[in-house]
Amino acid sequence: MDAADMTQRRLRMGLVSYAHVHAPALLRTLATLPQIELTGLYDEDPDRGDAAARTHGTAFHRELATLLDRSEAIVIASTNVDHRRYTDAAAVAGVHVLSEKPLATTLEDARSMVETCRAAGVQLGTAFPVRSSAAALSLKGLIDRGALGTVLAIRGTNPGRFPGSWFGDRAKAGGGAVMDHTVHVADLLRWLLTDEVVRVHAEIGSLLWDLDVEDCGILTLDLAKGAFASIDCSWSRPKTYPTWGGLTLHVVGERGTVDVDVFRQALVHYDDRAGETRLAGWGEDLNARLVGDFADAVLAGRPVPISGDDGLRALEVVIAAYRSAEQLGPVAIADLD
Amino acid sequence: MTTRIGVIGAGFAGGTHARACLGIDGVTVAAIATDPVEHGRQLADECGARLEASAASLCAAGDLDVVIVASPTYLHAEHAIAAAQGGKHVFCEKPIARTIEEGRAIIQACDHAGVQLAVGQVVRFFPEYRKAKDLIDSGALGKPALVTMTRGTLPVGNARPWYLDATRSGRVVLDLMLHDLDTLRWWFGEPTRVYGHMLGGTGGIDYALATIRYSDGPIVHIESSWAEHSGFRTTFEVRGDTGLITHDSRAAAPLQTQLTNAADGPAVIPGPTLLETPYRRQLREFFRRIEAGEQPFVSGGEALRSLGLALAVLRSTETGQVVAWTPPT
Repeated sequence: MDAADMTQRRLRMGLVSYAHVHAPALLRTLATLPQIELTGLYDEDPDRGDAAARTHGTAFHRELATLLDRSEAIVIASTNVDHRRYTDAAAVAGVHVLSEKPLATTLEDARSMVETCRAAGVQLGTAFPVRSSAAALSLKGLIDRGALGTVLAIRGTNPGRFPGSWFGDRAKAGGGAVMDHTVHVADLLRWLLTDEVVRVHAEIGSLLWDLDVEDCGILTLDLAKGAFASIDCSWSRPKTYPTWGGLTLHVVGERGTVDVDVFRQALVHYDDRAGETRLAGWGEDLNARLVGDFADAVLAGRPVPISGDDGLRALEVVIAAYRSAEQLGPVAIADLD
Repeated sequence: MTTRIGVIGAGFAGGTHARACLGIDGVTVAAIATDPVEHGRQLADECGARLEASAASLCAAGDLDVVIVASPTYLHAEHAIAAAQGGKHVFCEKPIARTIEEGRAIIQACDHAGVQLAVGQVVRFFPEYRKAKDLIDSGALGKPALVTMTRGTLPVGNARPWYLDATRSGRVVLDLMLHDLDTLRWWFGEPTRVYGHMLGGTGGIDYALATIRYSDGPIVHIESSWAEHSGFRTTFEVRGDTGLITHDSRAAAPLQTQLTNAADGPAVIPGPTLLETPYRRQLREFFRRIEAGEQPFVSGGEALRSLGLALAVLRSTETGQVVAWTPPT
């Protein structure tokens, strides 16, 4: 940020809901970014919300309307199914929205959110922070300047542990690993290749954590310009794995290949006191870039870099994957209702 | 008593198998046949073998006990059948043949001639894959849920165009992915259905992804690449409901030598990583079983079923649809 920017006014932003595992990091980000004035936290659970607000030195609002009144924009870190109702409330109040991923759990909800925000004249963004990583940006640059030639295929993975909490509850999450871990890579594919997914095949199963939702999934995608790709979205990392999971891409171009491992920047910490080995990541804060870019765009009156429509397109891949797994065959995005 | 070997082909497979034989006591590489004949000169000199005028004359030679068929895939049937008819035991490089019909013909010819047939599904002799099988079989991983396997190496298409000709090689699916498909069958038995994608086959590279489903077992994802510009690499992960094993051949290199005085500048020389290569173990086991009158470790029928699974993936890449898997008989 240069000196001229420092004189600009800050965007008044608040956090709606503390339900998501990313909520603490998002609140910390909102509290520290120079272009943001944190307006506080609303949470469905007053005890949880109050404690979190104290920890981060900000106000807790018992009523959503109070927070919306004081905010120009919000970040939504609720359960997946609540994204729509919080977005609707924000739109009515004329407040811009940055929603956690997935944008919604049904296409109907996601389309409605996009349309509601458009009609209300507020911006809707989707939290795909991996686009902001140095590795992903470098890869985007390589592809855009043609260094790889045409990109022919990409194998993507976003495996993790079972996140616990409500993530295994279909009523709150809308699904399991496919709902949780498909969209980051799906969004990267669309963004990197400037292309759209047209067809999805998936094999899914509830094979690991004794859940009512799927915890394993392998998706294979066709893109409009001819590339194909796969996404491993499984909650396949064991409890003893040294970190939560990761995100990788193996990119095959006409003139070369690229391997991306977004969370590779980590120390290995052998901890006798805790009786475990874990990774201590030292990579850059992707949330800061994500939220900062969103706020900068809103302040400047520009379209936010990762839109609600991007969230909707990634969700289409998820919904097509579930249908493919039911039908035991590939499903065209164009055939979705 | 000495076992006398004839080798058809002096490419990667022929050279690998012939050199593997050199380290086995009681085994002599006596003859090499290649087309054209002179292609085999260097390997023949290295092995102290004679150059045969043709594969047919090698198969008819009176002084050979075993023929190693290491010709391009589309010639396996012709050469293996000729070797069997010549009364030789047959060691056939994988895939057993380009088509199921050809594979069956090889098996029938060997049965008819009363000779042994083994197929070089060499991954079954790689210690990391055997260790994984031991752990899977022991139950240490629990019930297998998710398996990912990758296998990549340098583009082969420019130097040896037949590899990218689907009708002659079956491309990266029949040549490279076959290893992992065979490994899956060895680890878990027969899957239920397959789905695959493969590149268009231009530009010297090739690449395929496949998803394999077991009805009461794991989801499997396989990546096979002839676009691994940094050289050969394999990885796998097997996740059961009580554990995960991971393998990366790059990370498992116990020796890495870097020389500053190589003629072309700094050189990085990997390995060797094993005192006995999997290729030599494979052939030693085959020769031992011939001697003992035992069935080969990987029979023609077993290799035929792995070929069938690879052909199912290939069909899926062509049709864009899921292909149900029923093993050929």
